[in-house]
Amino acid sequence: MAVIWKLSKWAILGVSRFSIESIFILSMMLMIPLSVVAVDKEDAQKADIASVPFEAARNLFESYCRNCHIGPDVKGDFRLTDLHSDFTDRKNRDLWESLALQLQSGTMPPAKKPRPPADNVKQILDWIGGEMAAAQVAEKAGVGPVPGRVLTRRLTRTEYINTIRDLLKVDIDLTDLLPAETNATGFETRAETLHVSSHLLESYMAAADRAIDAAIASAPRPRTFSRRYDIKNERSIRPNGSVYRHLDDGVAIFATSVPSNIQVTLWQYMTRARGRYRFRISGYGYQTEKPIAFHVKVGPMNAAAQQQTLGYFDLPAGAAAVVEFERSIDPEQTIRIVADGLRTSTREVEKIGVENYTGPGLVIQWVEIEGPLIENWPPPSHKALFGDLPQRAIKGAEGSGRVEVISTQPLVEAERILTDFARRAFRRPVTASDMAPVFSRVRDKLEKHATFEEAVRIGLRAVLLSPDFLFLKEPAGKADAYALASRLSYFLWSSMPDDALYELAGNGQLHNPATLHEQVERMLNDSKAVAFTENFAGQWLGLGAIDATMPDPTLYPEFDDILKDSCVRETLLFFDEILKNDLSLTNFVSSDFAMLNGRMAEHYGISGVEGMAFRKVPVPPDGRRGGLLTMTSILKVTANGTTTSPVLRGAWVLERILGTPPPKPTAEIEAVEPDIRGATTIREQLALHRERVECASCHAVIDPPGFALESYDVIGGWRDRYRSIGAGDPVVVDGRRMRYRQGPIVDPSYRLSDGREFRDIGGYKQLLLSDKASLARALAAKLLAYATGSEPGLAERAEIEAIVARLQKKGYGLRSLIHEVALSPVLQGRGIEQVTSPPTPEKTEKSIPTKRDQRP
Amino acid sequence: MKLSRRRWLKTSGITLALPCLELFQPASAFSAIVKQRRRMVCICAPLGFYAPNLFPERSGYEYQPTPYLKLLEDHRSNFTIISGLAHAGSSPGFAHQATASFLTGAEGAGRPGFRNSISLDQYAAQHIGGETRIPSLNLSCEGLGLAWTRSGAQIPADNSPSRVFSRLFLDGSPGEVETQIRRLEDGRSILDDLRMQATSLRGNLNSSDRERLEEYLTSVRELEQRMARDEVWCKTPKPKVKAETPKDISNPADLLGRARLMFDLTHLALQTDSTRLVTIMLTGSTNVPPIPGVSLGHHDLSHHGKDPGKLNQLKIVEAETVKAVGEFLSKLKKSREETSDLLGSTTVFLGSNLGDASSHSVRNLPVLVAGGGFRHGQHLAFDPQKPPPLCNLYLSMLQRLGIETDRFSNATGTLTGLETVG
Repeated sequence: MAVIWKLSKWAILGVSRFSIESIFILSMMLMIPLSVVAVDKEDAQKADIASVPFEAARNLFESYCRNCHIGPDVKGDFRLTDLHSDFTDRKNRDLWESLALQLQSGTMPPAKKPRPPADNVKQILDWIGGEMAAAQVAEKAGVGPVPGRVLTRRLTRTEYINTIRDLLKVDIDLTDLLPAETNATGFETRAETLHVSSHLLESYMAAADRAIDAAIASAPRPRTFSRRYDIKNERSIRPNGSVYRHLDDGVAIFATSVPSNIQVTLWQYMTRARGRYRFRISGYGYQTEKPIAFHVKVGPMNAAAQQQTLGYFDLPAGAAAVVEFERSIDPEQTIRIVADGLRTSTREVEKIGVENYTGPGLVIQWVEIEGPLIENWPPPSHKALFGDLPQRAIKGAEGSGRVEVISTQPLVEAERILTDFARRAFRRPVTASDMAPVFSRVRDKLEKHATFEEAVRIGLRAVLLSPDFLFLKEPAGKADAYALASRLSYFLWSSMPDDALYELAGNGQLHNPATLHEQVERMLNDSKAVAFTENFAGQWLGLGAIDATMPDPTLYPEFDDILKDSCVRETLLFFDEILKNDLSLTNFVSSDFAMLNGRMAEHYGISGVEGMAFRKVPVPPDGRRGGLLTMTSILKVTANGTTTSPVLRGAWVLERILGTPPPKPTAEIEAVEPDIRGATTIREQLALHRERVECASCHAVIDPPGFALESYDVIGGWRDRYRSIGAGDPVVVDGRRMRYRQGPIVDPSYRLSDGREFRDIGGYKQLLLSDKASLARALAAKLLAYATGSEPGLAERAEIEAIVARLQKKGYGLRSLIHEVALSPVLQGRGIEQVTSPPTPEKTEKSIPTKRDQRP
Repeated sequence: MKLSRRRWLKTSGITLALPCLELFQPASAFSAIVKQRRRMVCICAPLGFYAPNLFPERSGYEYQPTPYLKLLEDHRSNFTIISGLAHAGSSPGFAHQATASFLTGAEGAGRPGFRNSISLDQYAAQHIGGETRIPSLNLSCEGLGLAWTRSGAQIPADNSPSRVFSRLFLDGSPGEVETQIRRLEDGRSILDDLRMQATSLRGNLNSSDRERLEEYLTSVRELEQRMARDEVWCKTPKPKVKAETPKDISNPADLLGRARLMFDLTHLALQTDSTRLVTIMLTGSTNVPPIPGVSLGHHDLSHHGKDPGKLNQLKIVEAETVKAVGEFLSKLKKSREETSDLLGSTTVFLGSNLGDASSHSVRNLPVLVAGGGFRHGQHLAFDPQKPPPLCNLYLSMLQRLGIETDRFSNATGTLTGLETVG
């Protein structure tokens, strides 16, 4: 009885809101004073149309859910009686949201239990969505008319660094000063998780100082050196010994061992100043028919552990060629060249003797280094701030060569420089009150006899610590063109808007759909769009975790750094390829091509691809490769280095690809303890777990993708049998006996929760492809979450459905989807309503004209 | 009247301004009052310990030491081994991410929308942090640390022992001190201006955006306070220690070398009363540690899958860690204070976010509590199926610091069975 009472209570509470609204409209039409009508609302609601959804919800929950979700011992910690009708309560909204998610994905009610008719479910979902939207609008509208749902948030670490790069025109590394984002799952742009602390502010101070120092030229132009280093003169390469054979035209290296420093270190060279350097390395593959791969590392002379990889390259067999690249490098660093894929050990080469060794090697002839590369001095970063203002030697430090900028009108010049800088930093016109604190600081400094440059520097610091710089502010209640420009540029570039976007925001063109389309195209074609692929795709797929585990070298001896590096490149290039050509997003599930280099192709058993350069390669139609799910990067980040877990992989597919994350395991359930001794498979172990009633409903959806992906090991290699360190048959590769054995047979076959069966991953992919709209819906939600800083909920359900419907007509193209997202009212900050008035500046206060604003 | 504190400081002079900043008086101001100094060190081993090698079968004082506890036999009467505990509401699947809630007890670490709460050390720092040069020291052998602010922001950890050493013990030249003071003053006045301006914008925001602005304002205010106190400490000579500046270990695989540096640094910091609160995050490296007999990475070993070979190597790595902790306890024990040894005034807590790394279980967490004036020497065993929340231990530790509180995170009380002496 109590339960029913509670349910009826929801009805009364919930419906009253509807009634008030409908009555309000009615009263407006009839011009009846509201207070009079309100008296009758209790009666009115009972027979009103508005009570229908609640009646429906109540009946539905009563018939289908009460056995498990009402009473003292509910399943999955979800109690229907916790729900109430006040959608302004965010906790309650979250409960409704998770309920709706279960209904929508069909996870609940569980398989084999009676299911509610689809029409009823849809009706209830629509109703919940409407309530959500209304509540969100009400929440946002605290201050003004209908705004968007984009939340104010601070810049992420990546966005901060990129913004500093574009704002100050400097190319510096700040990653050591700023803490990494701690949001372990989901997108870094998620507003809720972007906290600020005094410690972070302190980091911003240090970062701002470093950036300002780098932007201002306070020393004479550094000398640019250019020299060719003959590798034969390198002292680390002993003449004819160990693994090095001196030839007429260079030195051949037959094996490397980084821990014992058997590699080519350029001890002859050390960078002097920070800057961009051009490297040219000449050499060729020796005693081989195939190109030889190598990678180049940079780091301090004596600290082997602090090396960073500059890149992977290869040199062709037989004929000398030159590899050329440019990179920004710190002072006092040198480079190391490490040959890859020689497939032998230093011990073996030494045993045979380097003169008699006939295996493949890498010949290095010479290395040419030029840098720091400086086109202009003072550099553009300095000119952008100070123009042509003169410099003179710093007082008291005349002999040091250090200089500073001077001005005959320090206050006027400083204010002009800082106003222009703040406009760019705040990504909108600035007002007098914006500048007041900055100017007061500058005046104070000048009064205390600071020099002009010192005063400007403190002003720059103030701007870079301002919330207007650090936060992407969403002005309440207005469709603001400058805020839109920022949303677009942080969406596609992870950085500030450029001049073109800024101008379009200024002249009111940006909200125009045709202009917007043009701009999105322009932005995606810009080199800065690499940030979109790296950050969106990287975070969507969780590629940041690629280093989280180290595959067990006994079980997976073939794993190496090239494979690790290449597998991430493969995924990002694949995403790019689909984006560039507006290919269907169904390619993410299944594609007839892959982006591969020689190492990846070898790993996948695809022949005819050699060298380190990636290219588009057709894949066999068996479904084993092609698409994201079967890529090494994904299969590695969903495994732990030793074993695979169908549960983790299954949950990954549900959450990332299908957009229907499974409910969290309840606290009482213990994880299965993996066993690699070869006597049992994870699937056998899981069977016991799955048979428990409380586990079955989730595993019915988690297990299908998880089992299908069991055909892949922890480094994404195909397997018909598990590798074992205990029982099993011996394995021989390239004539060598491996330390692992062939264990039990993999069984990738299973069935979806609706009963449709598949034999292996190929079959599973085909089943996924049968519902393209679901894939599109999931990806649209991910893009919106990334671009707006919060996950779309039921309030945006209708909008997402509309996007999916339009996208279907465009063949589900990824680029088209990005256009749809950019045009969506959700991103536009228009909320539910259409913008009718032209965009206005954020504040009513008159903005200070700057050079740029005065342009026609 | 709107009077910014900067201007106020300027007119009234810095020495006058100090009494205003209640929390931030230097320790010297307290030295007249003889008060028992209480300290706390929290250590997290992010991959846990293999339980059968750690937990004795018998509970109580008569337990037979396990392989790991044998290594601590000298300290048997100085520590309590506690089994069965878990954080309330934790579930498997996000076991590594649970380092985030190791000292906070917040539920749902690793899940979207997870919001952390204040960590044990920071909670304590609010009460006793102002008595020392550094309110709390957050060390990590690799990457992120254990400390979180009230609003759930992670506090960056110090990874470099040499930098911490210089901050604690090396005085700059007069010129450097001068520059540092000017930098602090400039920074503080910028922050002050920004705070005044941002405060005036508060009314123009909706609720969730206002929340974010408030967090910014709080951060600005806290940083101003910290910089003000740093200015004062800048003028106070740092304690002199005999030790050399430690040399940072660049090899990320050398987990024990790094741990020892952090333990030594912690010992010095406590001995000089530079701080009374320290958190230390040990490593769970994927690299192969330079320990004889170990050929696989620590993380790899922790996923042993019951392979005896891996379990053997894991035992070597974990035993070395336990030994390093034992050496640290010995150092504290040997350092005398007015009334006791340093271990007597310092609660050392060694634990983990993982109960079983191989299955990613977050139950039956390894917990060892040493020193601090608790009655030690026993194996305190709780039923892993129905344990009290780990935060109950944290509440006991807070009270031991002399902080009068009866709640912390999801604690339901102090930990039953862990008594204090005196």
